[in-house]
Amino acid sequence: MAAHAGSEKPRPIDERRAGFARYKQDVKERGKPFYPYAMFHDTVMSLVVVSVIVALACIWKWTSWAPHHDGTHQGLLGPEYTARADPGTDNFVPRPDWYFYFLFYLLRIFKWPESVFLGTVGVPTIALLLLIGVPFYDLRRERRLLRRPLAAVGAVLVVLSMAVLTWKGATASEALASEVIADVPHWISQEKLPPQAQPGAKLFAVAGCTACHTYLGTGSSNLGAPDLTAIGTRNLGIQFQINHLKCPSCVNPGSPMPKFASLGDKRLKQLATFLEASKGKQ
Amino acid sequence: MARQLSRAQVRKQRMQDAVNFPLDWLEERSGLVGGVRYFLFRKVPGDTNWMQTLGSATLTAFLVQAITGVILAMYYKPTPNDAYASIQNITDHVTMGWLVRGMHKWGASVFIILMFLHMGRVFLFGAYKYPRELNWVIGVLLLTMGMMEGFTGYLLPWDQTAYWASVVGINLNGTAPFLGPWLAQFLRSGQEISGDTLTRFYSLHMLLVPGGIMALIGLHLYLVIRLGVTSPPWSKEAAGSELVEEPAAATAARPGLTRPVARGTAAGGSE
Ligand code: HEC
Ligand code: HEM
Repeated sequence: MAAHAGSEKPRPIDERRAGFARYKQDVKERGKPFYPYAMFHDTVMSLVVVSVIVALACIWKWTSWAPHHDGTHQGLLGPEYTARADPGTDNFVPRPDWYFYFLFYLLRIFKWPESVFLGTVGVPTIALLLLIGVPFYDLRRERRLLRRPLAAVGAVLVVLSMAVLTWKGATASEALASEVIADVPHWISQEKLPPQAQPGAKLFAVAGCTACHTYLGTGSSNLGAPDLTAIGTRNLGIQFQINHLKCPSCVNPGSPMPKFASLGDKRLKQLATFLEASKGKQ
Repeated sequence: MARQLSRAQVRKQRMQDAVNFPLDWLEERSGLVGGVRYFLFRKVPGDTNWMQTLGSATLTAFLVQAITGVILAMYYKPTPNDAYASIQNITDHVTMGWLVRGMHKWGASVFIILMFLHMGRVFLFGAYKYPRELNWVIGVLLLTMGMMEGFTGYLLPWDQTAYWASVVGINLNGTAPFLGPWLAQFLRSGQEISGDTLTRFYSLHMLLVPGGIMALIGLHLYLVIRLGVTSPPWSKEAAGSELVEEPAAATAARPGLTRPVARGTAAGGSE
């Protein structure tokens, strides 16, 4: 212990080294061989893991089989596949796999345009750095959780917030096209949309725009996308709208809005007309 | 050598030699047998418990992904025209295809959960402390690369969920300062999600990222074997513990935390 003779307190690093030397010594004297003891436990656990995976696969298959044999049938664990990808889609609900829900929900918390960056990069990066850094700022030698109050509280908070974010992400309601389209007549009467703007309104309802934008209170606000109820009052112009829809990040650098070029010129024109005609509640 | 062996003894000797010959051959040329023997018979603390199987459970889940992934790759076609149909074919027609795909899909979730549980165990045990800091860092890298596997694999079925989740996911990468637009461009391999994006994700998903994970797992396990696993911290006979279960000694073991206490003196005695 007195590796650093002369000073009252041993340096922390010397204490740690001595602790590890003691560990090596103890394992040598009192340890048990990995095979068969620890390996037995490991093998049992591995069998459990493989069985659980096989069981999940079976439940997935067998509950989505009946009554018709069709992979898109919704079983207990979800469909085997959804419809084929369609870039010129009518309806999409962007949803990541469940272990990204916490990130997904962070975006809803930081939904104002200036703070989107916090949700997408800021908070996750800081969290990751804090996680990597754990052994470098938690330097005490104590390992019992009850004597590491900060670590214990921190861990509980992290687990709780991850659980809450995941849960909120899982239950977050999406504006589904079938529901949104029911609001179109309401939009037409409230905003007094002229007839030539009405096909665009329907398109807006089904093309997935309301996954990020709100319009007269319909839809959910995500990624800092602006409310479009009165977008027409800004008189951006039909051509600007078309260009923006074709390639948002070319017009507004850094825009996370997807490109909608694949909708085709005709439909883009309809959308643009609708946007320009949206002057807010009349 | 001078002693005469009975016939039975000679036969037994020959049998043993025949069994040992390949092992000796291998050992002489590679030293592998000694390595495996060291791995199997190395000592671990006597009080390791079930929570410490989570690491090897994670490894098992990863191996399931690797094996089912190779099989899927034999039937999957990474082009926008064929991807969806090949996934349908695997799920509905290939013998046991549904099982392989199902295991790969759900194994991914199990793998991620196990990584988090294993990390929780390591945290609970304070097992990231000296001298195991590096293994914690490697672990966090494994965790992020595991999530990257999830992200890149999600697009491959080329169905609506896959496609649009990736559109949004890639755009999110794009909001990062400086590198963001470049990263989004790289992932998409162009201005828009297309067939090139699909092949790029496929390559990342089955070559680059898993290759990296395998290399890191190798390092991780090397360090586990070199440094040994920690005893549960609450164990009475924890390896390396200097503590007698007595409050005075416990306080004395942490000099300078609340007030300086000389090693070996009773707590509170210096007032
Ligand atoms: C994934 C989320 C998302 C989806 C889906 C989306 N947008 Fe956007 N949109 C945004 C974001 C974020 C902005 C702000 C950045 C920008 O201006 O590009 C935006 C901005 C806009 C603007 C304002 C442009 C400006 O310069 O002020 C319009 C108009 C618009 N979107 C229309 C649409 C339409 C129409 C659709 C459906 C076809 C749609 N958006 C779908 C995220 C989205
Ligand atoms: C692919 C993922 C991983 C695999 C296959 C893996 C495998 C293992 C194995 C087999 C062990 C031996 C002890 C045990 O089983 O608990 C171990 C120990 C360890 N792992 Fe992992 N691990 C992975 C991810 C992680 C992560 C995400 C972390 C933390 C961020 C981590 C940190 C550690 C540390 C610090 C040890 C030493 C524990 C001790 O000495 O008690 N690992 N790992």
